[in-house]
Amino acid sequence: MERFLQDLKPGERARVERIEGGGALRRRMMDMGIVPGVEIEVVRYAPLGGPLQIRLKGYYLAMRRGECAKIMVCVPRQESSLAVV
Amino acid sequence: MKIALMGNPNVGKSTVFNVLTGSNQQVGNWAGKTVERKSGIIHRANEDIELIDLPGTYSLTAYSQEEIVTREYILREKPDVVMAMVDASNIERNLYLVLQILELAPRVVIGLNMMDLAKSAGITIHSNKLALALNVPVVEIVAAKEQGIEEFLTEAIRVGKLKKDPLSDDIPYPEELENRIQAMERLLADTIWATKYPLRWLAIKRLEQDPEIGQTWKSIPHTNQRNKNPDPCCDPGDPVKYELQESVTLPGDALLQAYEAEGWTKDHFEMAVADAKYQYISKILPEFRIHENPVKRTWTDRLDEWILSPFWGYPIMIVILSLVFWFSFVASAPLGGAVSEAMAWAADVIVAIMQWGHMPDVIQSLVRDGIFAGVGAVLAFVPQIAIFFAFFSLMQDSGYLARAAFLGDRFMQLMGLHGKSFFSLVSGFGCNVPGIMATRTLEDPKDRLITMLINPLIPCVPRLGVMSAVVAAFFPGSRGAVIMVSLLLLSMLLVMFSALLLRRVVKQKERSAFVMELPLYHMPTMRNILFPTWQKTYSFLKRAWTFILVASIVVWVLSSYPQGASMNATWAGKMGGWLAFIGQPLGFDWRIMVAIVFGFTAKETTLSTLGILYGVAADASQSIAQAMTGAMTPLGAYTFLVVYMLYIPCLASVVTTYKESRSLGWTSFGVAYNLILSFIIGWLIFHGGQVLGFQ
Repeated sequence: MERFLQDLKPGERARVERIEGGGALRRRMMDMGIVPGVEIEVVRYAPLGGPLQIRLKGYYLAMRRGECAKIMVCVPRQESSLAVV
Repeated sequence: MKIALMGNPNVGKSTVFNVLTGSNQQVGNWAGKTVERKSGIIHRANEDIELIDLPGTYSLTAYSQEEIVTREYILREKPDVVMAMVDASNIERNLYLVLQILELAPRVVIGLNMMDLAKSAGITIHSNKLALALNVPVVEIVAAKEQGIEEFLTEAIRVGKLKKDPLSDDIPYPEELENRIQAMERLLADTIWATKYPLRWLAIKRLEQDPEIGQTWKSIPHTNQRNKNPDPCCDPGDPVKYELQESVTLPGDALLQAYEAEGWTKDHFEMAVADAKYQYISKILPEFRIHENPVKRTWTDRLDEWILSPFWGYPIMIVILSLVFWFSFVASAPLGGAVSEAMAWAADVIVAIMQWGHMPDVIQSLVRDGIFAGVGAVLAFVPQIAIFFAFFSLMQDSGYLARAAFLGDRFMQLMGLHGKSFFSLVSGFGCNVPGIMATRTLEDPKDRLITMLINPLIPCVPRLGVMSAVVAAFFPGSRGAVIMVSLLLLSMLLVMFSALLLRRVVKQKERSAFVMELPLYHMPTMRNILFPTWQKTYSFLKRAWTFILVASIVVWVLSSYPQGASMNATWAGKMGGWLAFIGQPLGFDWRIMVAIVFGFTAKETTLSTLGILYGVAADASQSIAQAMTGAMTPLGAYTFLVVYMLYIPCLASVVTTYKESRSLGWTSFGVAYNLILSFIIGWLIFHGGQVLGFQ
């Protein structure tokens, strides 16, 4: 099931499918390890519509919703219910 | 031998650098950048080694100023050995940078740090297996406990002395990418220029159409630069400047076009190369890393549950920031007072000596009322600034600062700014000088500039002090609180408005992204807090003292000539009189204008100036404010408060803006903007208030 990263609920995990757009933002995401195939977990949302805290490769990253809307992810069907840790 | 220290941010690089160089280091800026440049000479094995601490970066692309500096250094200066620091608790992403370094620099030694942090997260790294997997020497270090650092250096020196470059394994790329890289390698192999860099790296960068490929840069020799008296701590270093010597056209344009037609654009190559590196890391990872129970909750998880919680996050932040403010700006007051008293005492001693030597009165007055009083007023703030810097380092090193940026980002987004601007702006309430200096954590130079220029609109502690005294005199009781809050809200509104306005004035090609690491919490070492505190305080003093000295003398001359004249007859007094026409539309008399002119050096002097002008004792702020009530209506006082709050905070902040922006143009713009904005808003309030029937 394809979705945008910003549509995930806290605790949900998904695999990156592709990153839309280009330029510095995409390069920055690549540098931080966001490449297709990587598993990302949304940890929490900052209050009042602030940024997202996500976890990948064992570390934490903060990203704005607008930037997360550029990341297309695929949620594995069975795992999505188990992923809440 | 030249050794460069590289690694991701927050990996403990500066600890290693500080331990190795001790006080024997030069801190400055990279030429044309506000990125800190740190280097030091160390003696080992009968040799002088120049160790350079490159800024922390995530990759060698040219995203931020830090990355540009790092890349240019590696490409143009070609260090003999690279000491690559790696965070064991976050090894996957750290190795991504290491792989990039390995493609570019033949001699690399890895320093594996933060093993304790990794262990607490259930991660074990076998360093010998890591060394085998990458074919690069690996040294385990505990930077915080200063363990293994000397061994790390010894290994780097050993590698640096090898007769031949050690062979490291090439990263295996997927076949369709590998074929294209090799095709480009064959084309480039015959070019003379290509012999300067590893062929494979060059081919990849050519495919990514990196602009620097094909350029030869020459460093301008030191002798051209003014660097007469090197200072052991904080002289500006010797910023290496480069100029473009020649640009070679490399072969391969036809090939690039052919690839583009196949869908392999430069973006596609970038992504494919990055992807392949991460794939390779995932492949070799099981050889040296054991991750037990990856879902185990770490300390960071537990702390973040509170610190980043939607409910508790803001209250916790307010408590932390209040504590920092209280310690820095309230509890430190006796220290500042002691500095002032010491200055006054020193002035008395020197004046006494002068009297004994029958020096003219003018000189005595210059020393006492000009130099010592002026410089003393600024020095009194140094303890505050130093304590604030210490807390700043503590928050940055422990990982809290990134969390504050995470929580504050929402508000910054409203102003079109980055989450990291939040801290700079909040710092402004304490003192604008460290607030402006705190913009260094911002990666985007345009974001930095905007944050720097709006910071003076935030009233600092000394200004708030003067404001509350005036408010108490004019608006007694609970009305005072309402007035004070309205002033603060006005300042925030204008900060927001100015940020959005400046966003249009400052041209920005691409909006900077908010993609920020939230590092694991850890206890910073004493050395890592005190060292930068000392360096920042010292460099602030060193940068500012000449300006402050000159300005103090100028103000003294203006305010004491013609000799013996009363305050309104002095040059400064006359200036206030001439400027009265600006004040008139706002209902200000000449006294207010004189106070505003004098307030330029440091705004807390405004009350004492007014005290002299109204003929009351200069040291009792209450009585001065009371004296003002006779001369002004409440509406006039409110207008004065608004103008007072918004115009340039003090000379030190202007100097700091100049030093941090490195642009006279933007500094003058900032000053002019502050002045014009304050008077326009003042005019609007005065006349708007009159229309509404206020007095």
